[in-house]
Amino acid sequence: MPVLNVRGATVSYGGRAVVRGADLAVEPGEAVALMGANGSGKSTLIKAVAGLVPLAGGTIELFGTPQKRFRDWKRVGYVPQRTGAASGVPSTAAEVVSQGRLAHRLLGMPPRRADRDAVARSLAEVGLADHAHCSVDTLSGGQQQRVLIARALATDPDLLIMDEPTVGVDAETQTALATVIADRIDAGCAVLLVTHELGPLTDRLDRAVVLADGRVVHDGAPPRPVGEHADPAHEHAHPHANGDTADDFWGGR
Amino acid sequence: MNLDLSFTDYFQYEFMQRALISALVVGLCAPAVGVFLVQKRLALIGDGLGHIALTGVAIGFLTGAAPMWTTLVVTVLASIVMELLRSHSKTSGDVALAMMFYGGIAGGVYLTGIASDKGVANLQQYLFGSLLTAGWSEVWTIAVGGAAVAILMLVLRPWLTAICADEQYARVSGLPVGALNLLLLITTAVTVSVSMRAVGLLLVSALLVIPVVTVQQFTRSFKTTMFTAMGAGLLIAGTGVVASAARDVPPGSTIVLIGVLVFVATAALAAVTRRVRRIRRGHLPPEGEPLEVELPAKA
Repeated sequence: MPVLNVRGATVSYGGRAVVRGADLAVEPGEAVALMGANGSGKSTLIKAVAGLVPLAGGTIELFGTPQKRFRDWKRVGYVPQRTGAASGVPSTAAEVVSQGRLAHRLLGMPPRRADRDAVARSLAEVGLADHAHCSVDTLSGGQQQRVLIARALATDPDLLIMDEPTVGVDAETQTALATVIADRIDAGCAVLLVTHELGPLTDRLDRAVVLADGRVVHDGAPPRPVGEHADPAHEHAHPHANGDTADDFWGGR
Repeated sequence: MNLDLSFTDYFQYEFMQRALISALVVGLCAPAVGVFLVQKRLALIGDGLGHIALTGVAIGFLTGAAPMWTTLVVTVLASIVMELLRSHSKTSGDVALAMMFYGGIAGGVYLTGIASDKGVANLQQYLFGSLLTAGWSEVWTIAVGGAAVAILMLVLRPWLTAICADEQYARVSGLPVGALNLLLLITTAVTVSVSMRAVGLLLVSALLVIPVVTVQQFTRSFKTTMFTAMGAGLLIAGTGVVASAARDVPPGSTIVLIGVLVFVATAALAAVTRRVRRIRRGHLPPEGEPLEVELPAKA
């Protein structure tokens, strides 16, 4: 039974279909990349999977349960597209990561040892153990991204959904993160990764699904870089690398 | 010791004791709610509900029911409508807020106009509060309401932080986001309507926000921010009541003025501290991202 099964998903924003009849399945322990150019609908599809935007058509099943009736969200770890971990009131890295344990706690009950351990462990995994008690807004952009990944890992997910987790993260950190994610995959966690670039994280993929204009145009072996893109020194310039949440330079999605 | 004598003199009077107790309770409890509102970037919601509360007060005048209860009903209803608008329609938070400001004031003035014999002067009493005329039963209502609000906020702190900091993430992790949002708004409504008679609508919304934004300039964690903001609220409210007694001016406005002054002073102080901290950091600096260029060797 796949951990995620999307059949014929259609999502529209104000009457305009952004995702049109997309199929996507992730088996337990499988690492799948959802790829595509800016505006291809990959972020929208992932938001539909996470239940953040409603489906206009099709079905989504999580762990064999239709999404509408799915309640076991603590099995899903979610890393949102980069918005920065900082917010109005200061919070420490440990406080942000402990949000990942709330679904495991009864409303109003104090954290148990397992919760505190999971927070410490996932902060250590992303290499931020020394920064646990630092305010997140004093951390660098890459470190904030790692805090958000640690928050998803703290859930002990069976399915890890990451929306462009490596935008604005330097090459060395990307490699370190790839190791962390690979460990989780080896431990049986399924991964669904949205990305539009190939990098250390995509080396460990089992499969890639490529979207173009809201439709699946490829489902199979992950693409390999060719030509100039295969050169390790090749650098992409990303219009929203500075944290802009719009999917393309023109502010569309 | 002259000051000390006069201080105890003031608080021989029961109305001063009542004023001090009500102000201290509101000072302690309002920031406990306010910290979440600031986190959610809804700092003005207290003021918005305060405007709606005017309509509630006017309904009280009109029907002869106790204004506190009609206010409570109206503000709670308004916060439910506001949350539904925010989550189910395209109305953004600040548009909904704007509607509350306009509608609340207009409703209050219109309805007091109908009940003109009961007097618009009364409405002013709710706007700016009348700490000195509150009875013991009102003080008790404030104390019980304040304790309930503070306990609820302290117990639910991690969950409320999660929905206020990153609502989308909270939704994906399966938290009851809608219910918690509603709970936060209703708690704000209760805080505003229970304390407005004694301390005034102006003061209660200021005490929701000022202590939080004052201390958050110096804190690193949410937990510390919450507790120190409650302490700061207590201090500001206490100082305000004592200062207003000394000068024989309305306590509500004195407390707010002291709060604003403290905020401006600490903001200046924070700017200096930040400059110092840049030299002596409290934690490790972000590790240097490796240079991805090769520096040209010197010839």
